[in-house]
Parts: sequence; structure tokens; C-alpha cells
Amino acid sequence: MPARRIDLAANLAALAAGALLSLMVHLNGELARQGGALFSSWMAHGTGTVAALLVIPLWWKAIQRSGAPRAAIPLWAYLGGFAGAVTVIMTSTAVNSSLALSGTLALGLAGQIVFSLAADRWGLFGIARRRLRLGDAVALALIVAGSALVIWGSL
Amino acid sequence: MIEAVVLAFVAGGLVGVSRQLNGRLAVSTSALFASFCNHLVGFVLLTAIGLVIGGLLRDGAFSGPWYIYFGGPVGVVFVALSSWIIGQIGATRSTMLIIAGQVLGGVALDWVLTGKPVSLTALGGIVLIVAGVLVAQRQRGPAN
Repeated sequence: MPARRIDLAANLAALAAGALLSLMVHLNGELARQGGALFSSWMAHGTGTVAALLVIPLWWKAIQRSGAPRAAIPLWAYLGGFAGAVTVIMTSTAVNSSLALSGTLALGLAGQIVFSLAADRWGLFGIARRRLRLGDAVALALIVAGSALVIWGSL
Repeated sequence: MIEAVVLAFVAGGLVGVSRQLNGRLAVSTSALFASFCNHLVGFVLLTAIGLVIGGLLRDGAFSGPWYIYFGGPVGVVFVALSSWIIGQIGATRSTMLIIAGQVLGGVALDWVLTGKPVSLTALGGIVLIVAGVLVAQRQRGPAN
């Protein structure tokens, strides 16, 4: 696939992933109301593990084909789930402070953006370094301002 | 208060760290395998935490409607997608487009679930987000 097509596919996939994230947050929020934040996250990780095992035929071959020597994969690359699970605990603590949900969300988005700028700048954790263009800054500003308006307009 | 601010900010940063790590694993294996590892590792950690502090299983935890137990499988698709995306378009562009999709999807979901009309302010926000996505789409270029 030419680079331009991959870029378009990845951009569309990112939008779709964001929409899925909203659905996931909604479902896990309902579950947390039923059984608490820890139970909800535990359950989501458990059912997710089972779901991923059910589709082993979709990824097993891809791993065999990738041919990368297992030893070359750094151990820390397996710890994404660790960071994710810790995040759940931290945010459910912050939500119960005077920050409330909107404050926690806003600061969380800020943390994500600052980290991703640093990650691209220095190529953190083995992902290629990337130079951002002026247009990226414009797009980021538009999306952040738009998100703030939507959140404010929905309060 | 300042502790909560730091906590919420660092939690956001950790979302980025998690995406970066899963993306790195996906480069050497496959995006779905990275998603599987993400969920398995998280499940083991949360089980350990639940065993230590207790209170994991409350009465009525399993009495909700069936569909609220499907956040996990949705999450598997989400993590797999984002692990692939980050290797293609980098962290910043991934983050901003995922945020755009999340807010637009959230508005749509709210609208479907509550039927409440979208406010004029929110509508203005949607216009800005769509403009941002279009500007992002015009930016391209290989990693350097």
C-alpha cells in the first residue's frame, strides 16, 4: 500500500477507535455502577482476555510470520496492560476528589497530549521519532478547543 | 487538591505510555497479540489488587443487563487498533484523532441513549473537531 493510503487508513482507524473507546467507557461505567470501579476494570480485562483467546486464529499466524526473534522483544513491551490497569485506579481516585469527572477528564487529556508530544519528539519506547508539522499543531488546537466546547456545552 | 491534579495528569500520561508499549509489542508481533497481552497482564494485576485489598465482588455485581459485560471485548478491538495506528502515524496524531473520535462518538452515543438535542455550543465544538480532523488528514509524511 502506498504511504498516503496507509496514512488515510490509520487516520480513519484512529477515529473509529475513539468512537469505540466512548462505547467502552459507557459500558464499563454502567458495570462500575453495578459492581464498583475495581470490579468493572477487572471484569473488562478478564472478558477481554477471553475474547482475544477466542480469536487466536486471527493472530497466531501473523506472529509466526513476523519472524522477529522473541529475545529481541524487550520485556517492558509486555507491560502496557500494567500501565492501563494502574491508570484505572488513579483516575477512579481523582474522580472522587474536588476535580470531579470533568476536571479528571480534562487533566487526563492534557497528560495524554503532553506525553504524546514528548514521545514523538524523542521516539520514546522504541516507536519511531517523528517531526510534527505546523498543520499538526493547528489540527491539535482545533480538536482540543472543539472538545472543550462539546464538554462545556453538554454540562 | 494538588495531589489530585498531579494524579489525573499522570494518569493521562500513563494512557500514552500504555499505547506506546502496546504499539512497540505490536511492531514485533501482531496488534491483536499486543491487545491480548495488555488484557492478560491487566487482569493478573487487578486480580492481585482485588485479593490484597478485597471488596472485588459486591452483591449484585453480576445482576446487570448482559450487554454491560461487553466492555472488555470492545476494549480488545480498541487496543488492537491503537497499537497498529501508533506505528503508522505516531503518538501525537494518534492521540488527537482518538480524542476526536471519542468526543464525536460520545455525542452520538448520548444522543442515541438520551434523545436530548445537541446544544448549540456542542455543535460549534463538533464543527471545530471536524475541521481539525480535516487539517490532520492533510498532514502526511514518513517518520523522520
